[in-house]
Amino acid sequence: MTAIKVDHLHKTFRIPHEKRTTIFETLTGVFKPPMYETFHALKDINFTVEEGEALGIIGENGSGKSTLLKIIANILRPSSGSVTALKKLTPFLELGIGFQADLTAAENIKIYATIMGMQKREINDKLDDIIEFAGLEKFRDTKLKNFSSGMQVRLAFSTAIQTDPEILLMDEVLAVGDMEFQQKCLDVLSQYRKDGVTIVFVSHDLGAVRRFCDRTLLLHKGEQVAIGNSSAMIDKYVYAGVEESTHVNDTGSNVENVQSNENIFIDNHKNAKNVEISDVKFFDKFNNESSQFNSLDPMIIRIFYNAEELIQDPVFGIVLYSDKEEHLFGTNTYLRNYHINSIFGKGHIDLLIEKIPLHAGKFLLTVDLVQSKNYIPIDHKDKQYSFFVIPTGYDEGLLGLSCSWETGI
Amino acid sequence: MIVNHLKELYDYRNLIWQLAWSEFKLRYKNSILGYFWSLLEPLLMLLVLYVVFSNLMKIQVEHYQLFLFIGIILWGFLSRATTIGMFSIVGKPGMIKKIYFPRDIFVISSCITALLMSVFESLVFIMFMVYFRVPISINLAYAPLILIFLFIISLGLSLALSALNVFYRDVQFIWQVFLQAGYFATPILYTIDIFPKNLQRFVLLNPIARIITSARDTIIYSSPAKIEDLLFMFLSSIVFLLVGYIIFSKLEPGFAEEI
Repeated sequence: MTAIKVDHLHKTFRIPHEKRTTIFETLTGVFKPPMYETFHALKDINFTVEEGEALGIIGENGSGKSTLLKIIANILRPSSGSVTALKKLTPFLELGIGFQADLTAAENIKIYATIMGMQKREINDKLDDIIEFAGLEKFRDTKLKNFSSGMQVRLAFSTAIQTDPEILLMDEVLAVGDMEFQQKCLDVLSQYRKDGVTIVFVSHDLGAVRRFCDRTLLLHKGEQVAIGNSSAMIDKYVYAGVEESTHVNDTGSNVENVQSNENIFIDNHKNAKNVEISDVKFFDKFNNESSQFNSLDPMIIRIFYNAEELIQDPVFGIVLYSDKEEHLFGTNTYLRNYHINSIFGKGHIDLLIEKIPLHAGKFLLTVDLVQSKNYIPIDHKDKQYSFFVIPTGYDEGLLGLSCSWETGI
Repeated sequence: MIVNHLKELYDYRNLIWQLAWSEFKLRYKNSILGYFWSLLEPLLMLLVLYVVFSNLMKIQVEHYQLFLFIGIILWGFLSRATTIGMFSIVGKPGMIKKIYFPRDIFVISSCITALLMSVFESLVFIMFMVYFRVPISINLAYAPLILIFLFIISLGLSLALSALNVFYRDVQFIWQVFLQAGYFATPILYTIDIFPKNLQRFVLLNPIARIITSARDTIIYSSPAKIEDLLFMFLSSIVFLLVGYIIFSKLEPGFAEEI
């Protein structure tokens, strides 16, 4: 059975150049037509969510995810098209809606629980549980303004999870709080899933989306790119960032590097004239150029060169650095016994990586071209290229190892 | 449609009450003294007006202190309900933008907050009644009906004002001027008899004028309410509520974007 149906949904916002917020301004401006920009936030969105299904919504900032969620929640209204929810909606767009600093913890719980749609008797029954779960037994009658922000979030969260939703709309609630809190949120989410609650989940946490959502909707600049299997959509999203430049801004960072590392030999230094590394590009598993990669996915580093004179026995090398310029890895063709006789003219050479052994973050790449094993430098591009690795799970750290746990006997 | 909406509101009765009650508590910061201070304002007002009008202006009205007090309480309710109501949407951007329930709930609960505040003053009024040994009669039974009309009119006004205030922020200033003018144009300090007969008809176009005079008649003077007045109050409360709801529901879809 269908729980939510979104049909040809459009949403435009009118952003006036000069906002009229008073009757006075409206009257005095009656002969001046109002100037405004229209912003098409959502364009022709169509999908359905089945009962008991978890749908993820992903997309970059400004792609319309939150707007879509707010329209489903009936907070914003569609410009055209329709949204039909056939069951009771419980939006978790923010924790602690309606909290009043001057009321006590117990009073705030009562109001918040009522807002979240709980019945009076239910609230009275669960009040002690909620306070206990939040670990705030001692502060039951303390005014909220005397609570730390962490305590407030705990209070709000333990109240919110007492609701018995039919359709849960969740927007980045997980983004606040420490690791432990996020884990708690995810536990609650999986409990809801087990209970068969329909969930619509907006997140930048692709790992969570992959784990919890049966299907995922991918938005790009207000348009529905695709909807389908979560892993496929996440791949599409991660490897779609083609337009983003793979270069670290060319001149700026070079100057910085030279200044900050005075003892380092001069960048970009060339011995042989007219021979250079012209570009470096990264390719994903679909052979598309990209600057973002899933952890443990394959990757190709393609080094383009332009040799206007013949170079005998060239050696290409790369060095990989973390964002903090820690030296992570280095290799070259000589070390790998890959012999190139000579290069002349334009061409490229690929470094094939089976699985990117990195977990998360931005990584910098230095590329080297030297002549023969004596390392006579020809061209050297110091940390001029970069790519991002996006985590697919909940591991931590810089490195990604493909591993699994097993119990011994 | 109306029946459906009423049913929906009934389902939210707990929320309406919670919002009204918490707002009420917040106004007095949970302190007993707070409630007491809130009484001081109307009582001081009563004292000043009583001294001025009964001695200097020589107004000859039976039980003038009660006559005045009832006017102050009822007008005070209208003024408070519309003022709190007017800010019930713009004052809660967090709730408007992050969750949805029928938004007239905010307005209804703010009118209930105003009602709770007026209940205190009414308790003092009852003490006055007892102290001055004002006889009561069966005609007192009209009073609740009259107060319900007042509530509905205030609600209708609050609905319109709260919605307009989202889009035109100077509505709040304009309304304050209206309230000021209304205070003197309504027979609160004086009886309607000070006007010549043909002018009285105009004054009585104001439903609040009829509400206050009828309330006085039934509560203090043990006389029944005029059928004509009741009919007028009934019709005007329907009109106010209807117009208020039409304005509110026309503007309501834009609330979350505009705030």
